[in-house]
Amino acid sequence: MAHKWKSLETDVLVIGGGVAGCMAAIPALEAGLSVTVCEKGKVLDHCGSVGCGVDHYLTIMESGPEWDTPEFLIKHLPKLTDGIVDMAVASRVIHEMPKVVRKIESFGVNFKDPRFNDYYRLRSFGLPGTYHINFDGTEFKKHIGQRVRKLKGSVLTRTMAVQILVEDGQAYGAIVFNFRTGEWAVVRAKAVVLAAGEVNRISLNASGMAFDSWHCPYNTGDSQAMAYKAGALLTNMEFVETTITPKGFSAQGLNALVSEGAHFINKSGERFMFKYDEKGENARRAVIADAVINEYLLDNGPVYADCRHLPEDILDHMEATLQIDRYTMPAFYEQKALNFREEPIEVSISELSIRRSGVYFRGSGLAVDTDGQTSIKGLFAAGDCASVSGGIAGAAVLGHVAGEGVASFVPKMNGSLPQIDMKTADAIRETAMKHMEVEEERSISWKSYEDEIRRTVNDYIGVRRNEPGLRHALQTLNALAKREPDLKADDLHGLMRVHESSSIRLNAELMATAALARDESRTGSSHYRLDHPESDETNWKKFVIVQKGSKGAETSTLSASEPLAAAFDRKSSAST
Amino acid sequence: MSSNAKAIKKSVHNPIRIDPDTCVKCNLCDWICPGDLIYKEEDNRETLPVIAYPDECWYCGLCQSICPVDAITVIFPDQMINCQTDVKTLLGKVIK
Ligand SMILES: Cc1cc2nc3c(=O)[nH]c(=O)nc-3n(C[C@H](O)[C@H](O)[C@H](O)COP(=O)(O)OP(=O)(O)OC[C@H]3O[C@@H](n4cnc5c(N)ncnc54)[C@H](O)[C@@H]3O)c2cc1C
Ligand code: SF4
Ligand code: SF4
Repeated sequence: MAHKWKSLETDVLVIGGGVAGCMAAIPALEAGLSVTVCEKGKVLDHCGSVGCGVDHYLTIMESGPEWDTPEFLIKHLPKLTDGIVDMAVASRVIHEMPKVVRKIESFGVNFKDPRFNDYYRLRSFGLPGTYHINFDGTEFKKHIGQRVRKLKGSVLTRTMAVQILVEDGQAYGAIVFNFRTGEWAVVRAKAVVLAAGEVNRISLNASGMAFDSWHCPYNTGDSQAMAYKAGALLTNMEFVETTITPKGFSAQGLNALVSEGAHFINKSGERFMFKYDEKGENARRAVIADAVINEYLLDNGPVYADCRHLPEDILDHMEATLQIDRYTMPAFYEQKALNFREEPIEVSISELSIRRSGVYFRGSGLAVDTDGQTSIKGLFAAGDCASVSGGIAGAAVLGHVAGEGVASFVPKMNGSLPQIDMKTADAIRETAMKHMEVEEERSISWKSYEDEIRRTVNDYIGVRRNEPGLRHALQTLNALAKREPDLKADDLHGLMRVHESSSIRLNAELMATAALARDESRTGSSHYRLDHPESDETNWKKFVIVQKGSKGAETSTLSASEPLAAAFDRKSSAST
Repeated sequence: MSSNAKAIKKSVHNPIRIDPDTCVKCNLCDWICPGDLIYKEEDNRETLPVIAYPDECWYCGLCQSICPVDAITVIFPDQMINCQTDVKTLLGKVIK
């Protein structure tokens, strides 16, 4: 019997209602377009990475001093990114920062510290100024979500996008399903914004629990996977990201620790960060992670974060704000019976993710132009799935840029949208639904499937790589791809997880492929090739671009002095 | 679900404790959990929420923070609290 589809039409379809997705929806709604947000969560005000709160926001404010101007930060971009950055897009994002932070304030977010009724701005992660506003962002996402609802954006909740629709080089919608009701829908749209976040659950961590992860374990690189399958270009996929977390709990908090003055010490009590970077604990996240990895490899572990030297008022502030970035952090310390004021905190590296490799403005994911448009016409991307990113601020600003891009793209479109071929839609749905009926003998659970991916990533694609290891990993990942039809979903919730597992595997494959292409090392453990341990400044000031080819993932390179859009081969874009 | 799978499920650590006497059965925790883990029958003031997929918990505490009557406590498992993993095992194997 033919399936009864729900069929929807909208000007703009946003996939992922997190920071970037909401911020993209806002300018499109303000321009009078109809916007539908497809989101796995149920409550827009709290869904995504930061539903529980945030504590720092990176921005230029143009408050007077030279460092607080776009030009000053832009000048430092090459150094911050080891030369691999899309200057055109990153510059646009930085220029838009003051406008967007003020706009978010107008939604009701209070960035000021009640202690001084002013912005409390701190320096961290190698940035050449005190660009981070430390603030109580418990309600940050709530205000942004509320804004979308106030502007009458519609939201498909508990709905997962599984495929984007592209015809003649242009995106025109997506296929989605609701994992509580089992309802499938085809959504036809004049433009699609991808904002489903980074790739997590891709490697092991100290607790051995897949969902104990620094970043949101329910963001599994679906934007990247869907867009790759549709032919879009991805970049920086070789770089992995990791951070330092309290051992056993992969959680936020590094920024607060280092910006308030914590030290890292090894088992001999040596404060080692200055061996690795003149900025010490204020180095970029990638450098800190690399240093801790090295200390462990040198048998200098365990490594600890040490706050004991800090003055009482700073310790009080840290304690009072401990729960803002990760609500459960105080409970963890309490259940562990650990008092960070008096004892050093044993730390580990977190699991890995594909996001922005501990470097601001060098995002791993979909290559975009200065309007946030990908290499596919009508397909935009922003946030942690895009080639320029930087936490909530990066997601907010590029999201807003993409929303403005969409607002100017849609009215210029001429011709009608393609009709959705329901036969193809039926086939996609049927393939998906087969996961609910896999016979016991050949079935494989998504959990063990993912475990194998994670082990492979840790062992051969992670923080130490070489050609034989990467080739071995690709073999394993390709063999897993063949087993994908055997993935068993016990229920609709499981069907969502099966789709996530599929995205995770594909992203791991893209990471290994790109890592093999870049036969040099760059940014410490973000891309450390044991067989090519040095950075090659002559030949490798280049982006690695990954794209679907006739026989699987193919790579090419582009000089990093060019914008990524120079590699786009879009059909005459209506937006330009 | 086979009985075997049920037995395995039982041994999984329960990440959140819901106090049945305090809970006012408002559904908020079900609505808010980012992982779609908590299931609570809608429009039924009699039934308690259930954590249907305990091993998929992020330990984010959103459910606890939203609960209007503080009925939820997040409880970390021993693997997290007393983690004994050698960090070096996370740093890759080298094939020659
Ligand atoms: C606990 C925590 C604290 C943080 N604190 C800070 C901070 O203080 N400062 C800072 O700068 N950064 C912080 N970050 C990082 C920051 O949250 C992210 O960089 C930012 O949210 C990225 O925005 P995004 O829109 O790309 O992703 P998200 O905000 O995570 O949104 C992605 C959305 O996509 C949805 N989704 C995923 N797949 C699909 C699919 N297939 N179909 C439909 N929907 C889908 C998800 O449900 C989610 O809502 C923090 C992260 C976490 C996890
Ligand atoms: S802690 Fe977070 S992931 Fe776990 S049940 Fe509560 S809301 Fe869901
Ligand atoms: S949020 Fe609290 S009161 Fe409401 S159903 Fe959940 S546990 Fe019960």
